[in-house]
Amino acid sequence: MLNRKKFIRNTALSAGALMAGPSLLKAADYFTPLKLTVLHTNDTHSRLDPFPMDGGRNQGLGGIAGRSQLIHQIRKEEEHILLLDAGDIFQGTPYFNLYKGEPEIKAMSAMQYDACTIGNHDFDAGMENLATQLSRHATFPMLVANYDFTGTPMEYKTQPYKIFKKGKLTIGVFGVSIEGRGLIPDTLFGATKYLDPIEKANETADVLKRKEGCDMVICLSHLGNQYKEDRAKVSDEILAKETAAIDLIIGGHTHTFLDSPINYKNKKGDDVIVNQVGFAGIILGRLDFEFSKFSGKKMTKNHNISVSQK
Amino acid sequence: MKKNFSFIYFIIFLVCTGLSCNTSFRTQSLHYNKYSINDALAKDSSLLFFLQPYSNQVNKTMNEVVGIADMSLDKKQPECTLGNFMTDAFLAMAREKYATTVDLALVNFGGLRLNELPAGDVTNGKIFELMPFDNLLILQKVRGDILQQFLDLTAARGGWPVAGMTMQIKDKKAVHVLIGGTPLNPDVVYTIANSDFIANGGDNADMLRNIPQITNGYLMRDALFDYIKLLKSQGSNISANLENRVTHAK
Repeated sequence: MLNRKKFIRNTALSAGALMAGPSLLKAADYFTPLKLTVLHTNDTHSRLDPFPMDGGRNQGLGGIAGRSQLIHQIRKEEEHILLLDAGDIFQGTPYFNLYKGEPEIKAMSAMQYDACTIGNHDFDAGMENLATQLSRHATFPMLVANYDFTGTPMEYKTQPYKIFKKGKLTIGVFGVSIEGRGLIPDTLFGATKYLDPIEKANETADVLKRKEGCDMVICLSHLGNQYKEDRAKVSDEILAKETAAIDLIIGGHTHTFLDSPINYKNKKGDDVIVNQVGFAGIILGRLDFEFSKFSGKKMTKNHNISVSQK
Repeated sequence: MKKNFSFIYFIIFLVCTGLSCNTSFRTQSLHYNKYSINDALAKDSSLLFFLQPYSNQVNKTMNEVVGIADMSLDKKQPECTLGNFMTDAFLAMAREKYATTVDLALVNFGGLRLNELPAGDVTNGKIFELMPFDNLLILQKVRGDILQQFLDLTAARGGWPVAGMTMQIKDKKAVHVLIGGTPLNPDVVYTIANSDFIANGGDNADMLRNIPQITNGYLMRDALFDYIKLLKSQGSNISANLENRVTHAK
C-alpha cells in the first residue's frame, strides 16, 4: 500500500514535471504528507522531581527537567507539535501542599503546553486557588466543555475549545471532565454544574468540524479509560463509541498505562484513537499523524497504526 | 499500464485542485512512540534552576526521617499491607484522640496515594505523598443495616482497607462481616472511624451523607505521623501483615 502510494507520488511528480509550469509546485505540495505530532501527559500529580531513589518501583522516573529536555529535542525535529495534558496536574507531592500548584503551572508554561483540561484533583486547593494559579502563571488555556462555572471563582477561567493552525492544518481541541458529585467534596466543587459529557462532546466536536472547518478534532478527557466494575459509567471507551466527530481522545483519571493506543469505531464507523500514559509524568506519549487530502465525501477511515518504544 | 493508471490519478488531482472542491485533510496513518522519562535522559537545566528554590524549601521540612519501614508495604485489593497499616493507625489514633470506643476504621482504596511504601527510612514527605489530602479523621455512629450497605459499596469497589473487622466479598456484596469478632447486627449502632471525604458522600457513599459527624479537626495524615511516633515509643517500626481482613468468598 505504502509502496504503491510512493510509486504514485513519484510518477505523478515526473508527470507533472513533464507537463511543467506552475502546477509542479502544487503537485509536490499535494503529495507531501502533512504531519502533526501530538505530545501528551495526564495525571502528572505534582511530580516535579523524579520519584526518589528509595527502592520503589518507579524510582528515578518522571520529573519536569527530563520531560522538558525531551520536548525540546522533539521540537527541533518536528515542525507541527501540540503539547497537551488531560488533567490532575495538582496533588500528590509536598510541592502541592506547600505551593498549591504554582510550580506545576509555571513548569507547564515553560514547556509551552498548548492546552490542558481540568481533573478532579485540580479542585483540591479550592476553585479560587486554581483560578489564581491559572491567571497568574498559565500561558495555555484550560479547556472544558461540560462544566458550567457560572457564579464560581472559575467563571471565565476556562474555555470549551481552542483552534490551532498548524501549517495548512486546522486542529480543534476541546476538553471534557468527570462528574464531581461523589468524587470531589461538595465544599470544593461548589456551584459548578456538571453537564453530560457525551452530549457536550458531540455538540462541541460538531462545531469544530463543521462550523470551524477543523481537519482534526482532539478531545482532552478526564473521564477515565474504562470501568471494568461498571461498564455503563461514562469513560473514554463510551465517549469514543457514542460520538461522531472526534478523531483523538487524550485520556486521564484512571492512571492507565496503555501499551499502544486503542482504536474504536465511532457512531459513524470512523476511527477514534484513544490513548493514556499512566500517571506522574513517567511516560510522554507521542502520536505522529500523517494526513491525506479529503474531499468531504463520507468514507470510513482506517488508520495504519505502528508502535515503538523509547 | 501502471504508469497510465497513475497518470489518470494525476489528472483527477489537477481537475480537483483546479476546480477547487472543498478540500480539507484527515488523519490517515499514526505512529505511536512511548517515551519513558528516566535517568538516562538529559535534563533541561533551566527547569532544574527554576525548581531549585521550591525544592530547597520543600526539602527543608520534607526530608526529615519520621520512621522506618521494616518491609515494603504495598497497595492491592481486596487487602494489602499498606492499607492494613494505615487503618490500624486510624483505629488506634481515633480511639486515643476521641477518647471513646471505636469499633472499626476504614479508608477508601483510592485514598491511598502511593502504590508502595518502600522498606527503609520513611520521610515526612513520603507520608505527605501517601496521604496528601487534608482529610479529617472523623467518627460516625452508624446502625448495622446502614453499615452493611456501606460495606457492600466497598465490596462492589473491590474491597477497601479495614481495621477492627473482617469481611468477605461475594457478588459485589459484603458477607460474613465480623466486627470485633462478632457478626454484624443490623440493629446495633457501631462507631466507625472514617474520612470526612467518604462521610460526605465521596466515592458515592451516599448512605453516610446524612449521618452526623463527630470531629475535632484531626487530620488523617497527622494520625499516621502520631501512630508512627506511638510505634516508635513502643520500640516498633512500620510493618503490617495480610490477615484475611477482606477476602473473596470461595
